[in-house]
Parts: sequence; structure tokens; C-alpha cells
Amino acid sequence: MRSPKPTAAALHQTPGPFAPEPRRASLHPAPKILRAILAACAFLPLHPAHLGAAEAPHVSLDEKHRAFLKDYCVECHNADKQKGKLRLDSVAFTLNSVQSADLWQRVLHQVNSGEMPPDDAKQPERGAKTDFLDALSGTLMAARRNLADVGGNITMRRLNRREYRNTIRALLGVETDVRDLPADGGADTFDTVGASLFLSPDQFEQYLLLGRRALDEHFARWVPASAPIPVEPAKANPSAKPAPANRVEGEARTPGLQRELTRMHEDHAKYALWQANGSKTEDLAKFGCRKDLDAAKFVEYCWQINHEWYERYLARPEVQTGMFLDNTVNFNETFVIDLPTEMAPGDYVFHVRIGRVPDMPAERAFVSFLQASPLDKSDLTFLASRHVTADIQQPEILQFPFRILPGGARKFIFMEKRPLKGVGISLGGFTRMIKDPKQRDPVLWIDWIEWHKADTSPSVSPIVFDRTGDISEKEHARAIFRAFALRAFRGQQPTTAFIDKLTALFASRRAAGDSFENALKEPLSVVLASPRFLYLAEPGVEKKPRPLTDTEFATRLSYFLWSAPPDETLLSLAQKNALHDPSVLAREVDRMIADPKADEFVSGFVHQWLGMDRLDFFQFDPRKFRDFDESTRAAARTEVFETFAYLLRNNRSLSQLLKSDTVVINALLARYYGIEDVSGDAFRPVRVAEGSPRGGLLGMAAVLAMGSNGERSSPVERGAWVLRKLLNEPPPAAPPNVPMITRLNGQALTTRERLLAHQEEPQCASCHRKIDPIGFGLENFDAAGKWREEDSFQATDPAGKPIPRGLKKWKIDPVAAFHKGPEFQSYFEMRDIVAGKAPAFARGFTEQLIAYSLGRPFGFTDEELARSILQQAQGKNFALREFVHALVASKEFRLK
Amino acid sequence: MNPLLNRRHFLRSATALIALPALESLGFRRFVSAASTATARPKRAIFLNFGWGVTNETWFPDVNVTGANYTLPPGLAPLARHQSGFTVIQGLTNKFNDAPHWGSTFWLTGANRFAEPGQSLHNSISVDQVAAAALGTGTRFTSIQLTSPTKDDGHGPGLSLSWNSRGKPIAGLDNPVLAFHRLFSAETAPLSERQAMLQQKRSVLDAVLTEANDLQRGLTKTDTDKLDEYFQSVRDIETRLSKDEQWLTIPKPTVRLSEPKEGLAGREEIRVMYDIMVAALQTDSTRVFTYRQPVTTLMQSLDIKVAPHDMSHYTPGAKMEASQQRDAAQSELLAGLLDKLKATKEPDGTSLFDHTVLAYGSNIRTVHSLDNCPTVIAGGGAGLRLGHHMVLPKNTPLCNVWLTLLQGIGIDVAQHGDSTGILTELKA
Repeated sequence: MRSPKPTAAALHQTPGPFAPEPRRASLHPAPKILRAILAACAFLPLHPAHLGAAEAPHVSLDEKHRAFLKDYCVECHNADKQKGKLRLDSVAFTLNSVQSADLWQRVLHQVNSGEMPPDDAKQPERGAKTDFLDALSGTLMAARRNLADVGGNITMRRLNRREYRNTIRALLGVETDVRDLPADGGADTFDTVGASLFLSPDQFEQYLLLGRRALDEHFARWVPASAPIPVEPAKANPSAKPAPANRVEGEARTPGLQRELTRMHEDHAKYALWQANGSKTEDLAKFGCRKDLDAAKFVEYCWQINHEWYERYLARPEVQTGMFLDNTVNFNETFVIDLPTEMAPGDYVFHVRIGRVPDMPAERAFVSFLQASPLDKSDLTFLASRHVTADIQQPEILQFPFRILPGGARKFIFMEKRPLKGVGISLGGFTRMIKDPKQRDPVLWIDWIEWHKADTSPSVSPIVFDRTGDISEKEHARAIFRAFALRAFRGQQPTTAFIDKLTALFASRRAAGDSFENALKEPLSVVLASPRFLYLAEPGVEKKPRPLTDTEFATRLSYFLWSAPPDETLLSLAQKNALHDPSVLAREVDRMIADPKADEFVSGFVHQWLGMDRLDFFQFDPRKFRDFDESTRAAARTEVFETFAYLLRNNRSLSQLLKSDTVVINALLARYYGIEDVSGDAFRPVRVAEGSPRGGLLGMAAVLAMGSNGERSSPVERGAWVLRKLLNEPPPAAPPNVPMITRLNGQALTTRERLLAHQEEPQCASCHRKIDPIGFGLENFDAAGKWREEDSFQATDPAGKPIPRGLKKWKIDPVAAFHKGPEFQSYFEMRDIVAGKAPAFARGFTEQLIAYSLGRPFGFTDEELARSILQQAQGKNFALREFVHALVASKEFRLK
Repeated sequence: MNPLLNRRHFLRSATALIALPALESLGFRRFVSAASTATARPKRAIFLNFGWGVTNETWFPDVNVTGANYTLPPGLAPLARHQSGFTVIQGLTNKFNDAPHWGSTFWLTGANRFAEPGQSLHNSISVDQVAAAALGTGTRFTSIQLTSPTKDDGHGPGLSLSWNSRGKPIAGLDNPVLAFHRLFSAETAPLSERQAMLQQKRSVLDAVLTEANDLQRGLTKTDTDKLDEYFQSVRDIETRLSKDEQWLTIPKPTVRLSEPKEGLAGREEIRVMYDIMVAALQTDSTRVFTYRQPVTTLMQSLDIKVAPHDMSHYTPGAKMEASQQRDAAQSELLAGLLDKLKATKEPDGTSLFDHTVLAYGSNIRTVHSLDNCPTVIAGGGAGLRLGHHMVLPKNTPLCNVWLTLLQGIGIDVAQHGDSTGILTELKA
């Protein structure tokens, strides 16, 4: 378990549905063809033999490479010599077993690392070696994928953390902190893939504990017999004048600043007097200065850099009725709310009455909301940012939901949007960085802040019901257990023996003196640690796929589109066997996609599909990317989810992710992209001007920032990402043991000149000839995704010191060509070429969607399924919902 | 076949045993006697791993100078006062590992992730668990896993360094407070209450097993295998409960270690985890530790501004300095741990250091290189040759070290992972 460190994940009421998940989101009748497939599926007998009958595609290295082996390997690796116990003279070129793949992997490693052929042996010509490595690594990838095929088998899966949290919420109406559970998933798979969702020995106890906590809260909130939890704090934040217990007046800050200024003036006067009297160190104390010279100088320094600011601040009439947020000093000068410790854990909302001064710079109209760790006040967690649109004369009330966890942070901070962590920047540093006094003057004014208890969880009915009829207390408990287990097990019956044991557990707690309600909790928490709750279990028989029951089907559908259990509507349709009707199913899928719960599919799937965890890998240097702070990063992430959600809910073409005339943004991102006339925090579709680089994934700040190291753009990361995610031509993962090219270190070269070194070594060129050119086409975007025409590089010596005349500046040259493909003159031309490959993109997307929804890695067995989904979607210009409809209607989705 | 029959049988007999004073059949007596007489001291094993590799240029000793008279490179220099107490080995590899950012997943296992068709990640038992099965029977805790609180620290998949006999990840304690309480927190409830608690926990397990057994009847083979993880989890807790029962009347040891502060991170976090290890070994609470050490928080606590992954891809300048700073900080911490192991006296006058074998390293050498895994072996517990710099033939299986280590602490196994034999040159 972690020490409590709440993050934004704890929040769920923010303007965008995707905003709260930082790390660490129109009905059409079903088309005819879909109906036909559904009908076939529902009413014709199933032929299980169709499944698992797919032949593994033949994977082998082209025989032409035998010449390469013969020329450079066989001399030592033959029947007689067998160096390293390896024979390559008669080696099979078909990779159809783990053993053959391992053998070739070894060969690849040896050639990649440059160990083979040995230095004293004949060396292959560069081009031949490059082609050999290219072919071998590609063949190995295909072979590994073949060998990983699970023959259409869907392994029973444990609820992942997201699903567990959502399921508990649906059952009990409370939130759970799932960070107490181990992270999900294995390597390179979705968190829905059953085979990779382990249960570690300690986890069982975690489930018991989490279940118990959730039940405690459920009882406290929903079971009427219990006392309601206290809502308001007994004591308020101390404030200059009496205020409501849950309110802080902005002007409460003013007297403190006034005192501070007075003190500064006094200190300065003393210092001046000391200076006027000979500036002798030993005299410092005599004049009332700090007696240490450096300390005294520092006090004077603070006066110099700050007093004007204080005076200007206090001279404003508005500080008598409120306070200003400012942009320049350190966090002490932000607005800190220290909530009383006796405030009960739960969901709350800050209401902030706020307005902006006239004629202020538009980019300064954003406020950030943070939480400080109770242990370390410099440990700040970004929670949300908001766009302030109202004038100071008519302030608006912004809302910021927050959550107090037991033992969690109670210190919250409001500040003008800026980078949280000033990497290596001193206290006054931020001030000095801003030369323009207009940028230093405060522009956002806060009248007051209030906080209120919020009830954001869905309303649920209590799991405890009244005793009816003439039954004993024990029978009553029994009925409660049975009803709860049936719901928790998603319609599957608990065994009688299980309910007996729960009842016995209840009886023993009761005998030990627990109240009726308390005695229920332990057995109920056992239900939440039982296998039928924790696993999406679908009984089956080996190698004989069977159709799912309606309830099972509803459950699978619901966990696919909501990562949560079915709701009443879906369940009742299942109970009526109505989901066999293609039009009913299609309507239901549309309803589910329209429901906000589908945001969970959007963020869960898209985050993993596009590899977005990389967005959090790097901290962006605020000196270079002051705009790309936590607020912008969060908004950039949300943009990806919101765009996908927009396309999905409006059934637009998937290809709009490659190129589009519309972006889905809020005011903050609009400002970042330089798009005018967008106000407020809600994400909405906005038409971009002709010739804008935005529109589609390639122009998104999140995607471009992922293709950087927080400092410089990385054509390699970007190129590999485009190949992997957009063009469905994944390059092999970075191979182990390939030495880095270091000979160019310390030289003043352009990025492009540096990367051209990749072409010299075959083990680099075999992949980088495909990767790098695409990255060159994206070089007009800096590390944080802003458009640029120029770039520069400062060469450093081995000690990291800048080399004199080592500064290289250059105009971005985006001209390049796809490997064995077309040339492009600009980013725009490259984007057009990528946009022309929508079928390849759709193919890759389909494979990922199958893997995510069915919870198994995509394998050759799914080839037919992928083809039929693609066919249906292509007929509809790759409309996004068509993929989902086709998948859900497939026989694979209906079979165990 | 019903595995539960055995389990029930064991449970029943274990429950019966509690009423009787004779616990030696479960290895209990060994602990009690060991604490009071000067019999041979128990062997202990510690495995420490860090992600993201080391600075290639400044961590490895010169390959041309082997044996005892080698010069410590800057990355290991903070260990100088212990130079005769450890050996640096070069040339080791886990030949199957091909994931350049997985520094710990296969470190102690040597497994081939592709060995099971249809699985993207296969693993096998880690060496510490082999050791724990033999060393841990008589201690309150069979083994203890500690881990970094950060999810990805260049370690790769897993929940700690440890993988059980089925190749499933074992969870680790990711914060010093938690580890301290698990090991040393005194039980405050009266005995009868704790007995009732144990009984209640048994009833809970019994109830869920009823469900699991019923569910299992309808499942396909793969699903049964999946559910087996659940059974395994429950069995594991049962074993722990049986052990708890044996230890019910024996209070947890008092240690001269105060409860760690909340929120320790990085250097302090590692240092305190090391203190906890020493206290636990000293009180014979457990004999086997693994620790998947943090990198991100360590770097933050050193005020290094470079991101960890970025640091591992260092180029001369700030990133390389960061990497070197990290190497040195880790060596310094390790030196502190060795100090404490040496300073902790056993009842027979020897030190904990003499009876502990410690392995320190990573599956990643540097950047993306997985050959020549950085490896340091210390302590007298396994009778290994210390004070040396060894350069073994290229690509010697790392598992050969583990095998040698296991045999050195008296565990009679013929193979581990992809081992091809023991390293005779490593035996003292």
C-alpha cells in the first residue's frame, strides 16, 4: 500500500469527462448488412468448428538469405565445426516453434551486436547486411506473433483496476482507491487481456480490505439505520473577520501583505542607515539588521526585488474586498486553503468567485488548482485548470471538485496557471524571467472561496433491506447475502454452501457482540473477494465454443463499452432474450456509446492503444516550454480522448484521426495552438483554418510531446510511433545490445545530420531507414508540439559545458521520403500521404479493438474477424461506430 | 484429484498442533534453539536490484586487471572500505532476455518469456524463492519482498523481484512504514481475540474456496489454470495463517529501530529499507529478502533533474553526470548496508555479514545492453570467493551465479533457470 497521496484520479467531477485521469473517457439504425450478420448469428446453429480452424500463416525467412549465411556464417557453424553449438548450414528457414524462433533470435542478437561475423572474418557488404537484418527481424516479429496465437481462446479474466473501481461504484455507490491494488497487465497488452491479469498472493487480502472499506462507506451513506457522516467542519479557517465556517474571504490576505511590506520597509531603512554609517559588518546588529552580513544583504535584496510589487498590489482598491492571484513570486503567494483536519473524508466542491481585470493579456486567464502533500508542501499534485472569462465587475463562480481521503491532503492551492516545478529555478527566478511588467501585474481577482459537501456518486439503493414476514434474523441475513451475491456475481447463482458459510460467519460476529449491521459487513466483504465477483467467468468446455447466455453476453458487452457491469436496462433486455434481435442490439450499443460511462472505454482503450503513458515520462523544462505546464499537458491528453469520443459519438470516420479540418479543444488548448475565439473549459469541435498544421493525431500536442524527451523533439520516437500506430507497419522494438553511436557527441550538427549516422551501420539502418524520414517530416514541431521554422543545438564538451562556437542554428528541412515510398516536401505533404493510408490505419485499429474487447492478443485466428469488421466499416467510410457494431455482432463476440 | 483434500488435512493437523507444545516438526524448535545456543548460524540471502543499468564507462573495473589487486572504478568507489568483502563479476547474461528496459523481470529467474506458446510473458521461479523454500521454514516470515513505489523504474513487468514456483509475480511492500509494521509491529489484541481472528480468517477462506471449487467445475482448461492463481493465493494465505498460528504466542521481536517516518523517498527510503532488513535478519524474522530498488525517487532525492529513462540513454554532459551520481549514491547506500551487516553481531561472536550472501545488480548493463549484467556478490554466507574482480567468458549464464550461490548456502539443486553448471572459480 502507498502512503496516501491523492492525485487527480481521485476526482471525477470536472468539466471534461477525461480530465480527472492523469495517469499516475445520435442514434442510427443498424445497417442492413449488420442485421443480416446478427440474424445469422442469432438464429442459425453455430458451427464451432469455424473457430480455431484457422491455419497458422507460414512464416519463414526468404530462401535468398541462405546465401548470406553461406557467405558469412557457415564456415564456422557447420556439421563439423558447430562453433557455439550452432549449425547454420542446414538450418530450417521456417519459424514455426519456440525453438526455431529462439535460434533465429540468437542469430539476430549476434549480428545486431556486431559480434558476428567476428572481426577477423570476412565482413558482409553494408547493404546486404541491412537487408538481412531487416528481413530477419521482421520474420521474427511475425513468428512471435504466430506463436502467441491463442486459437481464439478467451481466458477468463480478472477485473482490472478500472473495472473493479467501476463495479464497486455500481454496486455500492462509493469510490475506491484502487492504487492499493497491484498494477494490471503484462507486457505489450491491454489491461483487459485475461492471460496477463495475474492474481498475486497478497492481492486476495487487498480485495477483502478494499471491499470492507467500500462496505463501511456504503453502510454509512446508504443504509438508513446508520448516522449520516458529519458534513461541515466545526471550525473554520481562521480569518480576519467572521465568515461562514466553510468560506474564506479574499481580502483576508491583505493585512498579512501589509504587515510584510511594513517590515520590509523597516528592514530597508535599517540597512540604509547602516550603509550611511560606514557599512561595517560588526555594526550590523547595532542598526537592527541581521548580524550575519549575507543574511542582511539577502534581506535587502528581497526588498529590492519585491517592494514595488507589494506596493502596487496594496495600492489596488480591490484588495480591500478580495485578493489577486499573481504570476510572479513563489507558492507562498498563491492562495492556500488549509482545511480543518476534522473535515470528514468525502467529495467536496470549492466554489470560487473570480473575475479578470480589464485589458489583461488573454493567455493569463487560466487558474490552476493543486493539492499539496500533507508531508511535503513542495510535493504538489495538479488537479485541474479553468478558464476565467468573467470581468472583475461581474465575477463568475467556478467550481473545483476535490476529494478528501482518510489521512490524505487537506491543503489546496489556487494559482495562475504556470509550471508546477521550477526545475532549478530559484524563488526570485520566476519573477526575473518575466521582464514585461504587464506580465507581472496580477490580473485575476478572487472575491471568496467556499467549500461544500458534494455528492457525486450515483445514487444506489442500500444492499440491506428490511425484514419481511416472519423470518429469523439469521434468515434475514441470509436473504441479504443471497441477493447481494447474485448482483455481485453478475447474475450467476452463488452456491448454497457459500451462503451457509457466510451466514455462519455472520452468526459468529453476532455472537461476538457485533450489531446486526456490523455483523453483515464481514460476510459481505467475502462476496467481494470471491472468484465469481473478481473474475468475468464464463463456464465452457475445451475446444467446443458455445454461445454465451444472454446475461453473459450483456456482461461482456458492458465491460467492453463501459468497463462496468450492465445496468438495469441492459440486464432486463438480456432477461427478455431481446439482445438476439439485431436492431435491439444495435440500438443498445448506440445507447451505451452515448452514455457518459463509455468515456471509460474511450480513455481506457485509447490510452493503451496509442501508448500514451509516454506522455508522463518526461518533465518539460519550464525555461524552454513555459506554456507546456501541467495544465497544458492534461488538456493535451484530454484532447486525444475527446477527439476520439467526438468521432465515436457522432459516427465520424476513423480517418479523421489522420487528417481533419476539425479539432476538439478547449480555451486553454486553443490558446496554445494559436486558435482564436474559443472560450471556456469544455472541449468542443472547432474548425481550423485552411493550412493549419492541426487536425488529426499528427498535429496534437500530446502525440508530438510523446515524441520528445521533454527537451528536444525525437524524430526516431515520432517516426516509430507513426509506423506502429498509424501505418500498421510496426518496427521491431529497440533491440538489445546494439551500441549507441557516440562519435558525434560534442559536435555542432543539425538533428538530421546526427541521425544520418544511422544509415552507416547496417544494424541501425535496417530499421531507421524506415523510421527517421517520417520523423524528419515532423520536425516543424518542437518538443512540446508548437510549430517552429528553426531549431538549434548547442554542442557540449564531455563535462557538459557549452563549446565555444558550438551553437548551430538551422532552418527546419522537412523534405524526406518514405522508405521505398513517395517523397514529401513538407509536413503537410507527409500528412497527406499518411492520410491516404486509412485502410492500413483501420486495419491496425481493428486488431487492437479486437484484442481489447475480447481480452486476448490479436492472432492469426482472428484474421477472418478482422477482415469482416473492416469490410463492414469500409463500406461506411470507416465510420467509427461501425467497427464496434460489427465486432459486437460477430460470432466471436458471442462465443465462449 | 482434489488438491483441497491435502490442504484440509494439513489445516486440520495444523490446528491440532496448536494445542500441543510440540512444534518442532514444523521447524519451530530450530529457531528457538538457534537463538539460545551457539549452533551453526543460519544462512541468509539478500537480493538487491536497480533498474536502468549503470554508467558503462565508470562502473565496471578494467577488464584487463582481474583478481584481488584491481582498482575500483568511480561507480563502485564508495564501496572501497569493503573491497575485500565483495566480488565484481563481468561477462554474465540472461540469454533469453530481449527487452532492453526490463532490468529485473528475469534477473533472478533466467526465464524465456516466449517459452509458453500463447503467452506474451512467461516466467519461472526466482532464485530467492528457491532459497526461501529451504531457509524460510523456521522463521516467522518465509521471505520478504520490498519494492519501489514507482511503477516503472526500468525494472519491467513484475510486482517485486520475486516470482513464485508457477512463475507468477509476488507482490512487494513498497513503503518502509508498511514493511516496518509487517515485520515488527507488536500485536496489541489479547491472545483469545487473535485466535478468534485467525479462526474467522479461516472461515473466510473456507467460504471462498467453496465458491471457487464450484466455479472450477464448469471451466475450460485455460480458465482452470487462471483460477489456479486464485487457489494459489488462498493457499498462500492459509500457509501464512498456519505460520501465524505457530507464532501466535511468540511476540514479535523488539528492535532498536523506530517506526519510519511517513513519506520517505529515495535515498532515505532505501537506507531505512536496509535498516529494516538488518533488523529482520538479526532477529531471525526472515532469512530471505529481495528489494527492487527505486530509481525515480532516488534521483529526485539527489536533486537530479534528468528523467530516469533519459539518464539511462546518457550522452556526455548532464545526463551522464546524473547517471554517475546515481551509481555512486547506490554504491554508497550499499556500503552502508555492508557496514551494518558487519557491525551486527551474532550470538556466537561472528557477524551477520559472515552468514549472509548478498547479490546486487541489474539485468541491464547500460542503455539497451543486456549483456555483461552488472553483478556484485558480497557476504560470507555462501562461501564464495570475495575481494576479487572476475571476468568470465562472454555470455556466461547469470543463472550459474545463482546456482553457485544456492549450493553455497547448502541448497541441493542441480539447476536454476538456464544455468549450465556452477562457477568453480567463484567458490572460495
